[in-house]
Amino acid sequence: MNIRVTYAAFRQQMTHFLTDPQWIIPSLIAPFMFTIVTLMIFKDVDGPIVLQAVLGGGVLGMWGNTLYSSGWSISYDRYNGTLEPLMVSPTNLMDVVTGRSIWNTLIGLSNAVLVFIFAELMFQTGVGLSDPLQFFFILVITLASLASIGLIFSAFFVLTRASSVLMSSLEFPIYVVSGAMFPISILPGWAIPISYILAPSWGVDAMKIAAIDGYTGIGPGILGSLGIMIGLTVLYIIMAKWFFRKIERNVRNHGTIGRF
Amino acid sequence: MVEELTKVFPGKRKRPDKRAVDGISFHVKRGEIFGLLGPNGAGKTTTIRMLSTMLIPTSGSAMVLGQDVTKDEVRIRRRINLVSGGERGLYYRLTGRQNLRFFSELYGIDPHIRDERIDRLLELVDLKESADLRVEDYSRGMKQRIHIARALVNDPEVLFLDEPTLGLDPEIARDIRALIRRMADQGTTILLTTHYMFEAEELCDRIAIISNGKLVAQGNALELKDSVNNATVIHVETRDDPFEAVDVLEDTEGVIHVNYDRVPGRFITRIQVEQSSDLLGDVNEVMRGLRVLRIGYDEPTLEDTYITLVSANEH
Repeated sequence: MNIRVTYAAFRQQMTHFLTDPQWIIPSLIAPFMFTIVTLMIFKDVDGPIVLQAVLGGGVLGMWGNTLYSSGWSISYDRYNGTLEPLMVSPTNLMDVVTGRSIWNTLIGLSNAVLVFIFAELMFQTGVGLSDPLQFFFILVITLASLASIGLIFSAFFVLTRASSVLMSSLEFPIYVVSGAMFPISILPGWAIPISYILAPSWGVDAMKIAAIDGYTGIGPGILGSLGIMIGLTVLYIIMAKWFFRKIERNVRNHGTIGRF
Repeated sequence: MVEELTKVFPGKRKRPDKRAVDGISFHVKRGEIFGLLGPNGAGKTTTIRMLSTMLIPTSGSAMVLGQDVTKDEVRIRRRINLVSGGERGLYYRLTGRQNLRFFSELYGIDPHIRDERIDRLLELVDLKESADLRVEDYSRGMKQRIHIARALVNDPEVLFLDEPTLGLDPEIARDIRALIRRMADQGTTILLTTHYMFEAEELCDRIAIISNGKLVAQGNALELKDSVNNATVIHVETRDDPFEAVDVLEDTEGVIHVNYDRVPGRFITRIQVEQSSDLLGDVNEVMRGLRVLRIGYDEPTLEDTYITLVSANEH
């Protein structure tokens, strides 16, 4: 990995974010709206369900932001016509996308924290964390796992502009299947194996174990879930790298890079 | 060095394959400006994309700076760069300087060299005053100039320019041509595609004409003109619009091609005819009834040569 390229892409994404108001809606407003609606649905309930709602809002913010921004970062290049000069440079496109994803991940993280604070202040959810530092750590790793899925999506955006259909159609299913909003145990049987191969499912599980009293989780405790998530995230990164290499070869064969 | 270079795009949904470039060969010398001329869809951009490693050839070979474009793409990319015509290819929300800085990082340019080079490039393209404005606020000409600066961040040994003056007004296009000439004078090898004959004639040391994916001629402008020694041109200037006469002439035996332009106060018709045919009398006859200001034989221009070669290939 080329650190300088990744840092340059991080700075570039930050500048875009700060100068382009279109990012504010998916990054900041949508998760808040989702949390408000969810908390209003559950306003007469307390305990774990409220926490599930807060967690759901936070994870939605992280996931939506990561997916939208990472996927669209390549789409944005395609639209601007900058994918061609990027391809003609000696850099690995994945290094560029990684830098942008790190920025998106930070925004997602700050977004999740803001959602938790907002929920506590506005709805007095009474959610208390016995070990905030541990919870924060799990949150960060979960975000990294979400970003790694974003990397795979980005690779497909290099291949075709039609990837936006794939991205849009998978945004909510992945969010639901990862157990962010509803417990995995209430999903239909066929969906549960999909949950298990999604790294964020294990992150959400670890967060729930850390935050909800009496929740035993789907996996072997916090450390076990974290381990599985990290393993899956590494696998996703390897897959993304492989996809980027294969897809670059493919677009060099077919000449589809300049289309927008 | 390009040998029998071919690119075939596979057809989709039962459409036939498209042979965009069909076995072309040419050699570009270090430090020269080499022009690729051809009509739309002739294969110029596909050729430039293969040479700049964006596309993999279907067959044949292309070596850039001694490296194979198919296998050694990363090594080649460090030493080349590409400018495409039009307004796309920049991050509009970033300033001109931020764009240059970002693209410099992609090439791993040392920070000291990078900052100094960016200043120098901004001066070269006359954008020092506007360097910290967002690109979205640039005029079209400014965007094209920052494009060229962007392509020079890695101090490329070979620069590919794909219609760099496309759609620019004449004054800005002239500035861009002057800039291209300066880069060549500084030792950069330039491969240029263009539609504009005068641009090719003014800038290029040598020119290759491509039509339907095939290379139909190459050489310097004089050699190209000499290569079409079986054609000559009848130049007619009229006060009236000769469109009906042009229709008749196009169907006249011995006529290769007719084109006419309206210029202030008159129409200029150039009729390329086979040298063996004496058609001046026939042209006079066809133009009867129009107010003719001037009629006579003329030396073929590069444009006439181009049209002759391309028409011959298309037919």
